[in-house]
Amino acid sequence: MLNYVIRRILLMFPTLLGITALVFFVMAYSPGGIGGQALEADAGSDSAVAAKIREYYEKRYGIHKPKIVQFGRWLNQISPLGLEIKDDGSLGHFGFKAPSLGDSMEQNRPVMHLIRERLPLTLLLNLVSIPIVYILGVATGIQAAKKRGGMFDTVSNATQLAMWSVPTIWAGVMLIGLLASRQYLKLFPTSGLYEVEAAHMAFLPHMVNHVLVRGYLLDVIWHLILPVICLSYGSSAFLTKLTRGSMLENLGADYTRTARAKGLPENVILYRHVLRNSTLALITVAAGILPSMLGGSIVVEWIFGIPGMGQLGVHAVQFRDREVVLAVTLIGGFVSLASQVLRDILYALADPRVSYE
Amino acid sequence: MENRFGVKDLVVFILIGIVITMVGLCMAQYDRQWELIRQANDKIDRQTADLARIQNLLARGVIAGPTSQPAAVSDAQSAGFERILKAESYPDYSTGDAVYDTFMAAPAKLTPLVSQEYTASQVQSFVLDTLMKRDPDTLKWVPSVAKSFTVSDDQLTIDFELRKGVVFADGSPLTADDVVFTMDFERNDSIEAIRARAYLDKLARVEKTGDYHVRFVFKEPYFMSFTIAAGTEILSRKFYSQFSPKEFNESTGLLFGSGPYRLSDPKNWHPMPGAPIELVRNERYWGVPPAIDRVVWKVIPNPSARVTAFRNGEIDSYDPTPEQYNGLCADNALVARTHHFAIEVPNAPYRYIAWNEKNNGEPTRFADKRVRQAMTMLLDRQTIVSDIVRGYGSVNTSCFSALTPQADPSIEPWPFDVARAQQMLTDAGYHLENGSLIGPDGKPFEFELNYNSSNSVLKQVAAYIKDSLGRAGINVNVKPGELSVLIDKMKARKFEVYLGGWSGVLESDPHQIFCTDAIAKTGDNFVSYSNPELDKLVDQARSTVKDELRNQIWHKVHRIIHEDQPYTFLYIEKSLNFVDGRFKNVMAVKTGVNPLQEWFVPLTDQKYK
Amino acid sequence: MTELGTIAMEGPSDAHPATAQVALESKGFLRQTLATVGKRYTARLGLVWIAILAFCAVFAPFIANSMPIAMKWKNQWYFPLFRFLTPADVILQIVFWTGIIVYVYRPRSSLHLIVLVSVILLLSILAQMLIHPPGPQKYSEYLLASRSGKAQSVWTVPIRYSPEDHMDDLQQLRNSPPSVHHLLGITNGKADLLSNMIYASRIALSIGFISTGIAVVIGCTLGGLMGYYGGIIDLLGMRLAEIFNAIPTLLLLLCFVAVFEPNLYYMMAIIGLTSWVGYATFVRAEFLSLRDRDFVHAARAAGIPTWSILFRHMLPNGITPVLVSASFGVAGAILAESTLSFLGIGLTGEASWGGLLNEATGEGGNFYWWIALYPGLAIFLTVFAYNLIGEALRDALDPKLLKQ
Repeated sequence: MLNYVIRRILLMFPTLLGITALVFFVMAYSPGGIGGQALEADAGSDSAVAAKIREYYEKRYGIHKPKIVQFGRWLNQISPLGLEIKDDGSLGHFGFKAPSLGDSMEQNRPVMHLIRERLPLTLLLNLVSIPIVYILGVATGIQAAKKRGGMFDTVSNATQLAMWSVPTIWAGVMLIGLLASRQYLKLFPTSGLYEVEAAHMAFLPHMVNHVLVRGYLLDVIWHLILPVICLSYGSSAFLTKLTRGSMLENLGADYTRTARAKGLPENVILYRHVLRNSTLALITVAAGILPSMLGGSIVVEWIFGIPGMGQLGVHAVQFRDREVVLAVTLIGGFVSLASQVLRDILYALADPRVSYE
Repeated sequence: MENRFGVKDLVVFILIGIVITMVGLCMAQYDRQWELIRQANDKIDRQTADLARIQNLLARGVIAGPTSQPAAVSDAQSAGFERILKAESYPDYSTGDAVYDTFMAAPAKLTPLVSQEYTASQVQSFVLDTLMKRDPDTLKWVPSVAKSFTVSDDQLTIDFELRKGVVFADGSPLTADDVVFTMDFERNDSIEAIRARAYLDKLARVEKTGDYHVRFVFKEPYFMSFTIAAGTEILSRKFYSQFSPKEFNESTGLLFGSGPYRLSDPKNWHPMPGAPIELVRNERYWGVPPAIDRVVWKVIPNPSARVTAFRNGEIDSYDPTPEQYNGLCADNALVARTHHFAIEVPNAPYRYIAWNEKNNGEPTRFADKRVRQAMTMLLDRQTIVSDIVRGYGSVNTSCFSALTPQADPSIEPWPFDVARAQQMLTDAGYHLENGSLIGPDGKPFEFELNYNSSNSVLKQVAAYIKDSLGRAGINVNVKPGELSVLIDKMKARKFEVYLGGWSGVLESDPHQIFCTDAIAKTGDNFVSYSNPELDKLVDQARSTVKDELRNQIWHKVHRIIHEDQPYTFLYIEKSLNFVDGRFKNVMAVKTGVNPLQEWFVPLTDQKYK
Repeated sequence: MTELGTIAMEGPSDAHPATAQVALESKGFLRQTLATVGKRYTARLGLVWIAILAFCAVFAPFIANSMPIAMKWKNQWYFPLFRFLTPADVILQIVFWTGIIVYVYRPRSSLHLIVLVSVILLLSILAQMLIHPPGPQKYSEYLLASRSGKAQSVWTVPIRYSPEDHMDDLQQLRNSPPSVHHLLGITNGKADLLSNMIYASRIALSIGFISTGIAVVIGCTLGGLMGYYGGIIDLLGMRLAEIFNAIPTLLLLLCFVAVFEPNLYYMMAIIGLTSWVGYATFVRAEFLSLRDRDFVHAARAAGIPTWSILFRHMLPNGITPVLVSASFGVAGAILAESTLSFLGIGLTGEASWGGLLNEATGEGGNFYWWIALYPGLAIFLTVFAYNLIGEALRDALDPKLLKQ
């Protein structure tokens, strides 16, 4: 088992290399090249000025070096073992060094800072959605399987495929338009993750001069409701169907019949035996849920104005900001691969029949 | 069997997880409280230091009354403070309150020189001072930190005399040393002052000729020399020399100066997503102090959230789009409690259509001047203004704003005259056949119109152009594109027609856009327009430092550009603003609404402490 | 029939098909599956909606057009609608009618099929070369004549506006709600929403089919090669598949769209390029188990070329999970295109449902509900329809359900 895990982790590296190389070269050969917009931010100003700016970018970021060299330099930069980069840009001796993600061309700041600011927001959104997706999906699935053919079952069957088909863009726009806009109901805020005043509020709701102040925690939750709904309705519908199918399969199996014959109460059969065996199917898809949510959260972040990783990535691609795009791809790819490895490990843990020797 | 992971275990795990999360949240909350306490402590320390200083002064017998001004501003008249002083004479004048403005995107850095965004420069303009500044109403240079200046006869040397008594926010005096330090700092290669340094190419040296005297020496006469010298924001040598270049480059909030406002903590400011940017009053300001205590910018990226915030009174100043402006004006209750302005400003951005005369080395249809003129006459630009900008704009005739002395006021825009345009095209060898205009080369007249796909106003303008030109038989293929792609096309000079805009400046230099030597790849003359007479005139103007002579040359340039129509200039927009009604002394000046240092709020109307 | 049915359904099959006749008999199985699918009413609903869309796509110029079918002007009859048909319109008509002919007459042998396909191609090329609509000046002439009342006896199509018609002469306001003249309202670009949606169905359907087709072709080829040869090709191929699987798709799509201009054909290729992995995995699993079968050995011994073994003998056995996946894949492709247009990155110049949805929130905080509801509803119904069909296919092919 341990061998298998180590092997999978080691295999992640060539894949990550492939992912970043693919994205880098596609971006590098696109019109505009790397850092295209940075060089034109001063278009129209004096030609000498523009020339100086170009020279500066070339010196600092090496934009006009051959593409493979640029990629190589980036690889060197992120690895803990490589050629040391001195302050003036020249290369030093080979050895251990601190890996660094580089600087963003557009914002003139270390990429690490950008990610530190934005990753928590995206993670917050996704990590709040995942338990909701699972709990809702599994609970609905169990309920539907319990009384197969009953009212709950037919209704949920009919709606779950429909819910899965609703495009996120439509759901987001409609939710904002109907629930959060000025013309209709103004139940929810239109954008952002918290109101500006909340930064000064205390955490929990409290009274100030006999007026209830929402408090930071509740404010964030209120802002999160609509985005989380958008992010989770599709996956939870999918999980419902999966759970139901898997549960039905197990409910018709031999061991269930035996358990009933032995006289066990229905609840015990359902929750202690059938559910456990059904989770296998759920785990198989678990690897796909987090990466697909990261993808879906790009759209949700865009619609709801949440400054997260998705927006960072989109903007960086449009700007051809080399370091940021590579960093975002690296993180996204790493999350996908890691969740696959995690899924396989969980699978082995959950099902004693499966072994990776 | 015994080791099976049961539901009970799951519940226990979940509870433990919740407890851990709550503990984490508590720690975050505690941190925030700690931060607030620390800021309060800093404030108390500063106030104690000030109190001690005042007590000291009182003990030595220097009386400071409520109406006396700091010694530096005895000649307030010439320092651009007239409007504030006038406001102070109003009966309900009172200090206090705050202005809440808004940014579309938070500036990543506020540190001067290394920050690149327009939002950062807005914040910096309140904190840093320049040697001279432009009066927003008369557009003339007025003394700020510098009291007076002299220009040598050969136009290469400018001497400034600084005021005595100008201090930075920590009380240290501003002397010639600081000015020299600023210029050296900008030219230091390890400081990433990209844009600033690029402009300093023509500067030979800056030297201190006395404690309060500075001399700028330029290599050659250049009409922007004075702007470069007088408009540099002065940094404090004492403050900024504490940091190594690397620290400076990586910092996000090292903003410290002598202006009317300051950051409450200039060493530790970090951009926090969603957090507003706040400037507080500089109690030690050397000039006439503004009435408003604080300036706060909320970051609201979503346009509809911004307008909602303004309607709810959460922000005090808002620049609407034409559509929003009309919507806001239709709300009577809102109009009653706000000021609103629609001002034509000289530094408005302008939109244009660029007709490429040499695509990929081959001359195009637009190389013929008559074709370009005909294109301009086929477009009803007035309708574009009234439809797309809802009338809040005007047709312009060149890259020079009609409100500046650069433009020749006698030049009228080309009329919307379809018949005349068609005649011109016939003269140029075009004829109509089966609904298409066929050119002298026998091929139908069609082209691709490129524009930035993220701009929805341009999308509407492009649709209008397609319809108008289609009526004359010209087939327009509208092709929106990503900005990077467009830039690439234009740099390579491989496009047909481009619809875009240039930002506005108070004095525009057409050299980069219209001169022949800008056709090379490093220039921005991407339409390959070439007129030797224009080149000569522009070169002459650039080296003429005297304003009146130079403007006469610009008039001639204007006439040539108008005649040749290398671009079809479409329109400029008015500056639209809404300001909350509790502010008094808000008025329209030449460059827009007057700066907020001149506003005040009567005591009874004040909203924020 | 049931025997063979069981074989093809259970994924990695473990029965023993007798000869290469499996290929032909699979076709019969296919027909039977489709019949089973057609019996379920949910699939029928889906098919009905897709048929409506296809009808709209093919006959769009005859449903919504600013040009009248016929008008009498200056004492002469004109037929502007027909004069202004583009080659694309005509080609779609050709394909449609050929499809009808195929459905009615059902050619037996592949010779008929080849003849049919070449006839379509020939006619399409002729259309491309010969059809030249007149220039835009005539277009605006006819438009003004028909609308301003100068012409008599104007016969128009039900919806009198093209998607590019900005109605300058009619003094319409942008963003107007639905009314008698404009059943679904007016967009931000001052165009009729209903006609925009009808023309956008072309893009949706074509992107759906063609990009999934490309993905299936790439997936089957790569998967087949990986499964059949194994060894190093398999190793490298699996790495490639992992890479494409783990890349944040939207980011890759963005990068690709940035390289190529947002052109319909490039978009199809790009969406196809990013979604082939699923199909390849299925086919590879199939081939891995099939390649040691007797019939494969027999075919190889008989000297049949490799490509023939792969695609005429082995592939039909493993095609079923690919079909199910393809149906969901079409839905996914339509969603991907809508999302890209919504983000402002995809086809911004042409009418597209996602692009329309983007205009629903105006700048002043106004919410134009008709611009949000109808295009979104169209995307939803299309994706739903394909998902229903995919579901029905999966249930028809699922061995476990069949056993019950």
